[in-house]
Amino acid sequence: MAGAPAARDRAPALGDGSAPLRVAVVGKGGTGKSMIAGTMARLIARRGTPVLALDSDPLPGLSLSLGSGPEPFPPPLIDAARRDSEGRWGWSEGLTAAVAAQRFATDAPDGVRLLIRGKPGREGYRPIMSASKAFWEVTHGLVDAPEFRDWALIGDLPAGPYQVADDWAPYAHAYLVVVNPTVQAAVTARRLVRLARKRTPGAAVLIIANRVTSDDDVRHVEKLVREPVFDSVPADDEVAAAERLGAAPIDAAPYSAAVAAIDRLIAALPAVSR
Amino acid sequence: MKIAVAGKGGVGKTTVSGTVARALARAGHNVLALDADLNPMLGVSLGVGADQTELVLAARQAIADGDAEHEPTLEGIIERFGADAPDGVRLVVASRLDVIDPGCMCCGVNPANLVRQLEHGERTVICDLEAGLSTVEKLEPGQVDVVLVVANPSGKALEVARRAVQQVDGVSEIVVIANRVRDESDVELIREVVGDREIVVIPEDPVIAAADWEGIAPIDVDPDAPGVAALVRLAERLAGAPVAA
Repeated sequence: MAGAPAARDRAPALGDGSAPLRVAVVGKGGTGKSMIAGTMARLIARRGTPVLALDSDPLPGLSLSLGSGPEPFPPPLIDAARRDSEGRWGWSEGLTAAVAAQRFATDAPDGVRLLIRGKPGREGYRPIMSASKAFWEVTHGLVDAPEFRDWALIGDLPAGPYQVADDWAPYAHAYLVVVNPTVQAAVTARRLVRLARKRTPGAAVLIIANRVTSDDDVRHVEKLVREPVFDSVPADDEVAAAERLGAAPIDAAPYSAAVAAIDRLIAALPAVSR
Repeated sequence: MKIAVAGKGGVGKTTVSGTVARALARAGHNVLALDADLNPMLGVSLGVGADQTELVLAARQAIADGDAEHEPTLEGIIERFGADAPDGVRLVVASRLDVIDPGCMCCGVNPANLVRQLEHGERTVICDLEAGLSTVEKLEPGQVDVVLVVANPSGKALEVARRAVQQVDGVSEIVVIANRVRDESDVELIREVVGDREIVVIPEDPVIAAADWEGIAPIDVDPDAPGVAALVRLAERLAGAPVAA
């Protein structure tokens, strides 16, 4: 599916055109955020750019879409932050955001590195609060870290609006708002677009229509979200079959139309088409 | 009766909640449909339309933005953050706010508490929970009568369903809803994960897909379509004899 070329032309430039891709993927639950984030990360890595995938979703998703296997528990970042005697959080000895990201990210296929915030359990985030604090610090510290200047950063954010409101992806040159051709997904997207523009005026906000079956679906999304669709990814039985089994689409369905569309999306995002 | 609906985002929690709420109301129940999801879209599935759904959300957002007073009473919440849906269902949006006044009921800081405090006597309460596990992890015995754990046949949805069932086991009755099922192998995939317990199958239904596309209630499109009819039967079951085997 070609998407909407006119809309693509109107999209703002990401960074200066030579910086690596830095995006945060957001949207209603089940729209395909993790699938797009995970597949993008793998494809960018195959293009030769180092990639750090940042997973702050409390639900399982990105590691499956990346094909990186079960997540470590407790999250590796649990040792990265600690509280001083007055209860203030700080880095554990010798750490900076960049060092923490280097040390506590784990390996995913194609050389992608994956950093997780960690998944809350029955007691919520309390037992992994140090990892959660450290993750937030990493996302902020990496913005200007020279160690990561050449790295692409791909963030997979949870479905709710709070991480957009609370600036969990300050590195993002663009928010990719994933929408399916349904009213529920579109109304949620509308809210996320407003929030992202308000809280992060410097970032581009791009609508990605996922699981579309026709141009009609794309036009429907544009009408509902009241924004141009930047690019679209087709509904794809091969990807659905991969996800049914919890396999990464890029491994189980490498030649699928949806994976090809995500590859084109990467090329369309100005910062990686240098 | 209090019913909570749990599952990963996008599995169809809201469609299940909205359609069961409407079917219960058609069967004569006084239904309060509580939307605790962070992306509160229950109004769409209930049939109040996208615009009205956004208006209710805006009323809650006004509190978060400091443009409106908090609402400390339950009846006030039902009045201010609600809308009348067809068949006499009352929709109430109680999603968590990003700026929370501790101890204030309207902030929905803990949807499980809100569900608990809802007097139900004459009222049937169905609560579309926040996607994921955060609320079911906090549920305590006696807070709800039954939890519907919704899953579709996908690895991620099943992982969330597996954990939800684990958490709710012993806290409340559980009915697993196998949603968007195409064939028996889909049901088997779900059964492998949730174990030997009752599974209600909702077949993949183009009528539901079309309703989602249009933003209208599936029950208003065709109550006899296979997926919709299965949800109406689920409502009859919930309203009738105890669900537990």
